[in-house]
Amino acid sequence: MENPNAPAMSPRMLPKKKAGPHLFIKKLVQQRTLVFMSVPFLVWLFVFKYWPIWGWTIAFQDYKPAKKFAEQTWVGWKHFEFLFQDERFFRVLRNTLAMSGINLVLGFVTAITLALLLNEIRRLAFKRLVQTVSYLPHFISWVVAASIIQSTLSPDGIINELLIRLGFIAKGEEILFLGKGEWFWGIFGASSVWKEVGWNTIVYLAAITMIDPAQYEAAEMDGAGRLKRMWYITLPGMKPVIVVLLIMNIGNLLESGFEPQYLLGNGMNVDFSENLDIFVLKYGINQNNFSLATAGGIFKTVVSFVLLFFANNVAKRMGEARLF
Amino acid sequence: MVKKSLIFCMAAVMAFTLAGCAGGKNGNNGSGGQASPSGGASASGASSPSASEKPLDKVTFTYFNGVAGAKDINTNETTIGKILEDQTGVNFKIEHLVGDLNTKIGTMIASNEYPDVLIPDAAIEEVLNAGGFIALDDLIEKYGPNIKRVYGQYFNQMRAADGKIYFIPFSSVVNQFYPDPDINQGAFWVQRRVLKEAGYPKIKTLDEYFKLIEDFVAKHKDEDLTGFIALTHDWRFFTTANPPMHLEGYPNDGNVIVDMNTLEAKTYAAADSTKRWLQKLNELNAKGLFDKASFVDNYDQYIAKLSSKKVVGYFDYGWQVALANNVLKDAARADPTQDDYVYFPLPVTFDGGKDQYLDPPGFVKNRGIGITVSAKNPERIIQYFDNLLKEENQVLRSWGIKGETYEVNEQGRFYRTAEQIAKIDEKFNDKFGFTYYDWDWPQYGTNSTFADGNAVAPNFQPEVFQMRLTDGDKEILGKYGVKTYSEMFSPPDDRPWFPAWGIPKEQGSPQQIWETKKEELTKKYFPKLVLAKPDEFEKVWQEYLGQFGKLDTAGYEKWYTEQIKAVVESLKK
Amino acid sequence: MADTATMTDGQRASTGAKRRKRSYRDSSLGDRIFDICNHTFLVCLMIVTLYPFVNTLAVSFNDAADSLKGGVYVWPRDWTLENYTYVFNEATILGATVISVLRTVIGTVATVFFSAMVAYTISRQEYVLRKFVSIAFILTMYFSGGLIPTFLLVRDLGLINSFWVYIWPGLIGVFNLIVIRSFIEGLPESVIESARIDGAGEFRTFISIVLPLCVPVLATVALFTAVYQWNSWFDVFLYNSSKVELSTLQYELQKILQNSNATASRTAADAFASSGNGSSNKVTPLSIRATMTIVAAVPIILVYPFLQKYVVKGMMVGGVKG
Repeated sequence: MENPNAPAMSPRMLPKKKAGPHLFIKKLVQQRTLVFMSVPFLVWLFVFKYWPIWGWTIAFQDYKPAKKFAEQTWVGWKHFEFLFQDERFFRVLRNTLAMSGINLVLGFVTAITLALLLNEIRRLAFKRLVQTVSYLPHFISWVVAASIIQSTLSPDGIINELLIRLGFIAKGEEILFLGKGEWFWGIFGASSVWKEVGWNTIVYLAAITMIDPAQYEAAEMDGAGRLKRMWYITLPGMKPVIVVLLIMNIGNLLESGFEPQYLLGNGMNVDFSENLDIFVLKYGINQNNFSLATAGGIFKTVVSFVLLFFANNVAKRMGEARLF
Repeated sequence: MVKKSLIFCMAAVMAFTLAGCAGGKNGNNGSGGQASPSGGASASGASSPSASEKPLDKVTFTYFNGVAGAKDINTNETTIGKILEDQTGVNFKIEHLVGDLNTKIGTMIASNEYPDVLIPDAAIEEVLNAGGFIALDDLIEKYGPNIKRVYGQYFNQMRAADGKIYFIPFSSVVNQFYPDPDINQGAFWVQRRVLKEAGYPKIKTLDEYFKLIEDFVAKHKDEDLTGFIALTHDWRFFTTANPPMHLEGYPNDGNVIVDMNTLEAKTYAAADSTKRWLQKLNELNAKGLFDKASFVDNYDQYIAKLSSKKVVGYFDYGWQVALANNVLKDAARADPTQDDYVYFPLPVTFDGGKDQYLDPPGFVKNRGIGITVSAKNPERIIQYFDNLLKEENQVLRSWGIKGETYEVNEQGRFYRTAEQIAKIDEKFNDKFGFTYYDWDWPQYGTNSTFADGNAVAPNFQPEVFQMRLTDGDKEILGKYGVKTYSEMFSPPDDRPWFPAWGIPKEQGSPQQIWETKKEELTKKYFPKLVLAKPDEFEKVWQEYLGQFGKLDTAGYEKWYTEQIKAVVESLKK
Repeated sequence: MADTATMTDGQRASTGAKRRKRSYRDSSLGDRIFDICNHTFLVCLMIVTLYPFVNTLAVSFNDAADSLKGGVYVWPRDWTLENYTYVFNEATILGATVISVLRTVIGTVATVFFSAMVAYTISRQEYVLRKFVSIAFILTMYFSGGLIPTFLLVRDLGLINSFWVYIWPGLIGVFNLIVIRSFIEGLPESVIESARIDGAGEFRTFISIVLPLCVPVLATVALFTAVYQWNSWFDVFLYNSSKVELSTLQYELQKILQNSNATASRTAADAFASSGNGSSNKVTPLSIRATMTIVAAVPIILVYPFLQKYVVKGMMVGGVKG
């Protein structure tokens, strides 16, 4: 990786080391091409992403879409209080964190492993076949996927059938997998991996292409075996991408998804399946309570920012690639 | 050179931007343009005072239906719609909801841009609060003699708090009330072979019903039968929560049962009736007759089980299990021996008292069609509505065209020939327009009759109903001495507030929060209660009561009682 | 990089990268065992991940009423094309497909190009606005103004009932931006330096040096964007629902699914359909859902093998590293 203080390397940067607005403007002029290449998109960013943030005011109102901004009733932190004071809130938060934590770890580990394994396949046709097939479930909607999972796990489904055949359980004692709340996180994690592992692998495969083959040759000459090469060359080669994606995903720790929990959830596992999004859906969106939904969104954003800066700083301390 | 290409690139970006905006503007104008012919044309229509005499200018209004139902279409592309356009000059461009209703309606309200005619379904309160509908009183006064005739008796119920009418509901009963001969509402169902084997006994109580199932399963041990299953998936959970209400002899009022004399509304989710119902299921489960998977299965799995011929009985609403029942009926039609597996509806109560499964004549007043503030000239729309409510047009939209889709015998009774019945399939319904005029317009409610005594709904006409019965159907009905399925049930008492669930609740109101929390609790505890070891049932029940006690049930009941009394009061005027 | 043989057909010699061959005749015993385990594992994985697709395919070709009974796994029990006929009979499908293709192509090209351009600027260590631009973009990943404000914005920009509403709001994907940036930062500094020495400006460097070197990541990002564009229907629902000319395939399929729901309950109430011959459940949500999954997924799945070439093989820039 480059030295972060790379400007010194560029000959154009050499003169004056004086700080201040003058220098800043001078640099801007010097770098006008870069400015032209990025600033128009800042305008775009402002219009499409930052401008709608005025909508956050909704969280502090009893928002009625029909009224004009000036006519809305302001209620302060009422909706946040509703959110935080509900006894279920912490359970919901726990479920959210648990499931997205599982997703994060499992998602990364499995996708990276698969990328490594695929990279070791020499026959291109087979490699491409595996890849294409493994990313197919990504194109199946959760509605369809959930119904496949439900029938697989049902008392007359294949898993119970297998357990009976293997003698682990007796007939008539079939397990209600989705009826056991404490198993829900595991089922959720496995389902997500099954559905997304192939898709998540793609970006790592692209990362592998950037590794210099000369490194492999050198390693080979030193007599490094396959596993060693995977560990010492391929993995470190992917590291910058891994770290950056990791930081981004840590920022998303409160987004544990919505559809699988909603579709696989039921009264028996609700203590483990209900997450923040479902909670907000029930009491916000379904009640047409835009204010509560917005308050939920703001809470998530605040937490995200904290996590993001934290993760980014850790990466910086450790001397790894970072997000910003 | 490089700079040039950069400038070129930036120019491209800008061009792209401009194109985007221009495209947007054009698009917008386009849509405006689409709406404006209606506006323009109708404006000219309005300016000429002789509009009502001369053939009217053609206008197209936009019509948004908050219920997904059919393909988007212009009404004048259908046979019925064309005839109506010839009469009135009005065409509707129908759009159906795809996706989330609250979102769609929310954007309409926030931007204050509506289609001309709107059916907001469950979001009707939002549209009313936002002032999205215009008041119809003057229009009805001026242009609506038929609206007055059909809806007059309900006007008091239709008025908003300010005394004005903003939308027209769909379910007004005109003339005599005619019950559905089929069971599309709640019932305890059982395989016909069970009744046959037991010699067609009269089953009146829940104990008799479960005994029947138990005996049958015991006799057929080798068949791997399931005694009883329940539907609990997602919003369909009410299917398992509602039976206590019916078992006590009440119709489906939703979360409450209403005393006929005092008009007090009482919830039953934590009442003795629910306890009794769940305890029965608990016993059933202990005997191995209840399918545990009921609490994890989704709707598809439930339907698959009902179609599998392995399930002896279940409680459900007819409309919800029609998919499965149709599979079984088709099989029976092809092969009469399969008739054994078709399910038969039974009016079961706790103690064999009078059942009230059949819906009483009701007036659902929290759904309807309204004209929005965006509509350019509402009088044309209201005239269309009024014209549609003429008796001959109601015959047209329900029965179709004489000689084509129905016949009339010497006694003046409407009927359909076998060929006509065969001809009228889904495709025909779309093309002819039955699909679009079946509901969702001001109309005679489904249970109405015409002045000449014919049923408004062809399905309800006995002549038509009898034609579609198989020999198997006739046999079992004969054994019970009835001609239709609904005759198995007691006739519904008059309940002017019915259905209580149709009384509008504001979104986000304490009542709605109560309902959401109640559903959460029941979803969580019902499986525990049913699957508990029988000696632990009481303990779990107490736990449930403890949780339930935290809800403001008294407030909910009080609100409902007030609303119901207000409805009854308004009818006395 | 396993398959060196096929890598040599690269066209991008302009980087001056040297390609070297790595022999893979290093079949020690350990390697063989590894290979066997690896292949076995990947085959198992394929079976598990192929199943949902095969199952959906089977249901889509199975008679709708028969599917209701359950138990259709990998092969249709009662073959029919009814489900596909029902879907394709919809007159709007063709036009909607054209719009879907257009938005996918235009949206993908625009997003990939502009994202790469911005990514390049924030990969330049000396760029004074680098940090500001990076953070400004990154933060937007974690908040949203909400539905109503966004809707009002789009309306005020005149993008309602317009094709461009499919392109503008998602013009730059932050995730894509960051992924591309990581790649550019991973390029050997010397490559860019040598371009400088040749007197190329930033834009020229970006177009003729960086873009070609980034093909694997651009292919990846293009795939992500194309899939996103192809699958979206929420923006159609929100902004363009009353303009059928701008409807997309996914949206039309959603419509058909919802209609099949309604049709199913209608035929239920109206048992006439069943008095004729044939089955009463001609269409069911179950079968239509399976069919639309296939109809929507197959075209976009076919895109991958084209892009895969670049993702899997990659461009070698070795030799000048470090």
